[in-house]
Amino acid sequence: MLRAWCRTASITTLGEILSPARITAGAIRLGMQVLLAACLWRALYVTKAVSGGVTREQAVTYAVIAVLMMRIRTANRFYARDSITQHVQYGTIVYWYLRPLSAQRYYLLREVGDQLYGCCWAAVGYGLGLATGIISYPSSAEAAEAFAVSMLLGQSVLYYIALLTDQVCFWTVKNASTREIIVFARNLLSGGFAAIWFFPHWFQDLSAFLPFEYTMGVPISFYIGKSPPGSLPMATLPAFLWIGVLAVVTRLVWIRAGERVVSQGG
Amino acid sequence: MKGFLRFVAAWRLALRIVALNFRAALEYRGELLVNICLGIAWQTSVIVFVTVLLGRFNGVGHWPARVVMLIAGVRTLSHGLYAIAFDRHFQLSTLVQEGRFDAFLFRPMPVYRQVQLASFPMNAIGDLCVGVAMFWLAIARADMSWSLGRVGYLCAAVIGCTLMEAAILNVFSSFQLQAPSASNWGIWLEELIGIFGIYPLSILPGIARIGFTYVLPLAFTAYLPAAVVAGRTSGLGVPAIVATCAPLVGLLTFLASRLIWNWRLSRYTGVNG
Repeated sequence: MLRAWCRTASITTLGEILSPARITAGAIRLGMQVLLAACLWRALYVTKAVSGGVTREQAVTYAVIAVLMMRIRTANRFYARDSITQHVQYGTIVYWYLRPLSAQRYYLLREVGDQLYGCCWAAVGYGLGLATGIISYPSSAEAAEAFAVSMLLGQSVLYYIALLTDQVCFWTVKNASTREIIVFARNLLSGGFAAIWFFPHWFQDLSAFLPFEYTMGVPISFYIGKSPPGSLPMATLPAFLWIGVLAVVTRLVWIRAGERVVSQGG
Repeated sequence: MKGFLRFVAAWRLALRIVALNFRAALEYRGELLVNICLGIAWQTSVIVFVTVLLGRFNGVGHWPARVVMLIAGVRTLSHGLYAIAFDRHFQLSTLVQEGRFDAFLFRPMPVYRQVQLASFPMNAIGDLCVGVAMFWLAIARADMSWSLGRVGYLCAAVIGCTLMEAAILNVFSSFQLQAPSASNWGIWLEELIGIFGIYPLSILPGIARIGFTYVLPLAFTAYLPAAVVAGRTSGLGVPAIVATCAPLVGLLTFLASRLIWNWRLSRYTGVNG
């Protein structure tokens, strides 16, 4: 059983390995984004030593880790014709409900596999960043632990948001634009483009009410030492709440979605 | 005269097809609205950068905020125009893989034009709206006198930047005719131009600056012409005359890219070889 699960989770990775063009483009893309993030933040700090409560080195580390974390969720099942939107359009979604593996479990395994594949890219980028001195080491061992815990929670939140967006297809058939908008909102509100503390207060308040900040801004703040590791429980409590709410909602939507699925021809 | 009439007829037909695509999109108003919002959302990241970061740091490197805003303004407007007129490359690989592209070869219209008319990207409306807003903001804060010559050069710069972006993506999209998986390169390039295009390239290391000027000419998609408009022609990495001729370089590169596209098309054999 475990072997079958692992094989299901590794589908995207194996598909990527079979496409050198995609691998090469992905590597160059990530390298370029890291280069720009590092150069841009160094250039912004050229006349200031500290801004927003962080030094130049902290800001560069934040920006580069944010780029690497955004890479975790860029695997795309569209190329393999295995995204929910494609299955709904082609009518092949019905097969998800005819297999011995449930649709929910299959989606979970594919998604976890995709995230692990993305994590490999991020880990390689992180190692190279440390080796070249672009990224600083965590401010302390406790900070590294807080980063790891909060990042895991953040990835769980992102999983449920992606699932909910995909589930929309059972009603709307298409979700490409919605998905792109959510990716944009995620990158903006999570502090992916620029750390939240550079934004006006109203934006920071808005961000605190949404789940996105807990996916990137909170973990990286622990990493660079902006947030003390002792504040981990309070900082991650909203993430736990979001995971609980989203888990219940997506579970209910799976049930409603299953009732809508019909084989082609009705 | 005959040639002119043929030209007008071709444009009328193209506009009729665009109108039909638009009417078809109006049948799905929810999707249409989301698509327009998508264009606005992606370009809003530029406005976030300009308002949040430039407001706090007053510039990038040794470039003052007003000049960086001008680069961003030229870039977002030219990208909006590019999105309206040329941004159909993302669908080429699907057209090839599904065999629909083969039908284009037998119709009495240039294949490249058929690809451009195959659909109308509604997100382009959002791109253009944000582009106009950003451009207006940049001009308002540019703090310079606007002579007729400078206004004329700025218009030429926007058109040249539009053509340069189209040229770069034409070349890379042509590879999709033989290898559909090359579509990833197109997506990557569009993203690359989007993220690097709004910054002064002098913040990058020397090798990257040379690469983005002479190998992949991103410098011509906003940086060089906007710097000329702002009167900063030294330290650009190219002679001042080359920077000044950026709109012309954009036009010539576009024409060359069309020749490359047609050459790749002549080698097209379909997905089954």
